[in-house]
Amino acid sequence: MKRFPVWSWFWFLLGMLYFFIPLVSTFEFSLRMIKGKYTFEAYRVAFEDPRFYQSFGYSLLWAVITIVISLLLVVPTAYWVQLKLPKLRPVVEFITLMPFVVPAVVLTFGLIRLYGHPPILLTNTPAALVAGYVVLSFPYMYRSVDSGLRAVDIRTLTEAAQSLGAGWGTILKDVIFPNLRVALLSGIFLTFAIVMGEFTFAALLAWPAFGPYIEEIGAMRAYTPQAVSVMSFLITWGSIMLIQWLGRGARGAQVQVGGAR
Amino acid sequence: MAFLDINHASKSFGGADAVQDFDLHVEKGELVSFLGPSGCGKTTTLRMVAGFEVPTEGTIVLDGHDITNKAPSQRDVGMVFQAYALFPNMTVGDNVGFGLKIAKKPKDEIAERVKEMLGLIRMPELGDRYPYQLSGGQQQRVALARALAIAPQVLLLDEPLSALDAKIRVELRYEIRRIQQELKITTVYVTHDQEEALTLSDRVVVMSAGHIEQIGSPFDIYNYPKTAFVASFVGTLNQMRCRVVDAAAGKLALGDQQFKTSAPIKAGTADALVMLRPEELHMGVREGDNSLTGKVESVAFLGSVVRVHLKLGDSVVTLDALNERKLVLPKVGENLTVSFPPHGCWVMG
Repeated sequence: MKRFPVWSWFWFLLGMLYFFIPLVSTFEFSLRMIKGKYTFEAYRVAFEDPRFYQSFGYSLLWAVITIVISLLLVVPTAYWVQLKLPKLRPVVEFITLMPFVVPAVVLTFGLIRLYGHPPILLTNTPAALVAGYVVLSFPYMYRSVDSGLRAVDIRTLTEAAQSLGAGWGTILKDVIFPNLRVALLSGIFLTFAIVMGEFTFAALLAWPAFGPYIEEIGAMRAYTPQAVSVMSFLITWGSIMLIQWLGRGARGAQVQVGGAR
Repeated sequence: MAFLDINHASKSFGGADAVQDFDLHVEKGELVSFLGPSGCGKTTTLRMVAGFEVPTEGTIVLDGHDITNKAPSQRDVGMVFQAYALFPNMTVGDNVGFGLKIAKKPKDEIAERVKEMLGLIRMPELGDRYPYQLSGGQQQRVALARALAIAPQVLLLDEPLSALDAKIRVELRYEIRRIQQELKITTVYVTHDQEEALTLSDRVVVMSAGHIEQIGSPFDIYNYPKTAFVASFVGTLNQMRCRVVDAAAGKLALGDQQFKTSAPIKAGTADALVMLRPEELHMGVREGDNSLTGKVESVAFLGSVVRVHLKLGDSVVTLDALNERKLVLPKVGENLTVSFPPHGCWVMG
């Protein structure tokens, strides 16, 4: 008879506790705005603040723009590197990892220094902020797309499409993008979650984004920021669940390339 | 000028020659196979025809038009890959109709053609399935239908059966030939499987180390190999180093046993390499044939054939005897006399 895996469960539960205790505590604290009872008062206050909607709306818009630019930049690049320049992959990977190495503060001051003076004056437009977000999302977007590309036999699919008369645009639109659905969704939602909670870029470039808003109310109020943090977590989790749901039964993942069944 | 001319094409990658001076002229409706071991340049040559590789030297002319530098999408060739390469996000029907959609054909015309192609591959009811719902053999049939749907001028098949199991491979081999003959489509087929090449082809191009060893019909390639490589690569071959006794009379000696060949022997040579197919050897003495006696090393029962390994002089030769009930199997270690006709062996160098 198979033995119950005691230690596996022990480590699993320990991990879950480590992960969930701070979240549950934050949630529990956010419910204690009115003394002596649990209410959603902090959430009501948060939702009544017009700046909540304004900052959330801004961040949402910039997240969408960031995602579109990232996709247009990363997918063709990763595809081309995989197809034609495989030797360049380590170089591209290194470049995409730079946001992990260079602190966001340094990146922001770099942007301000470069684009804060003529001839290219961008720091007073959201372009600099979005550019920063695009750079920040590079590691997540590139890795998602690259792993998706590696899972499918991109070279042969491309050549098959070419032999049937397809040009590059059609190949990307009809063959590559649909077969990277799960990978693209991962990149998209990771980017979305990062942009929605980002603080440094928005604060230093003085844009009223959601991250600085949470920070600001955190300095002034006790319970509302916890409520907003919980909502921020929920947005991230919602994104992840959406990835799982949209990626369920993804046909691309089940494709059999070569080998008899 | 033939329908497809590959004129002295060469291809090198970073200084290393993959294909050298490949010159082949394929007639319309012909099926030509490129046969050779891994790395001999057969796939590279096919990819040059498809447009995925540009020749370093030489030209490729299709139906009178130079396509050497044309993009793959502009060549009007259909290609079937070893790895099937069906688009996983599309149904069988969408896969087959993909090329026609690219060509902006009307929807009803696409539907009609898809139906016709699925009928051709004998899968009329599977148009709504996805590739992952099909077996390997079915996927490769769909890949074939997809390549044929655009009615290409040339069909290219790159080891299309290599990923399939033996039984399906044999079935599909005949299926490909049937479809090719039905459509009378000019076809180039790459394989490392000699049986596949010999069964399917009108002509076989045997390649080695980037160059053509021999071009000929399957019969000629098997029975009249022009080089030692072709002789040894195509079919099983016995090779015996023999002493030349009388070149003019075709007399040779293996140890102290003499025999004759009707193949020409270069005058003045002291010894020669004699080649003999296993099926040319027969157990026992036959009148008018050469006879040689050697020691049986092993006897293997292969079903329809019994394979005997026999030590003759310094060489070990293989003999294939057709399995008949009356056949008396030799025993390992005993002496066995075998015979072969003088025209059954040929001589190199």
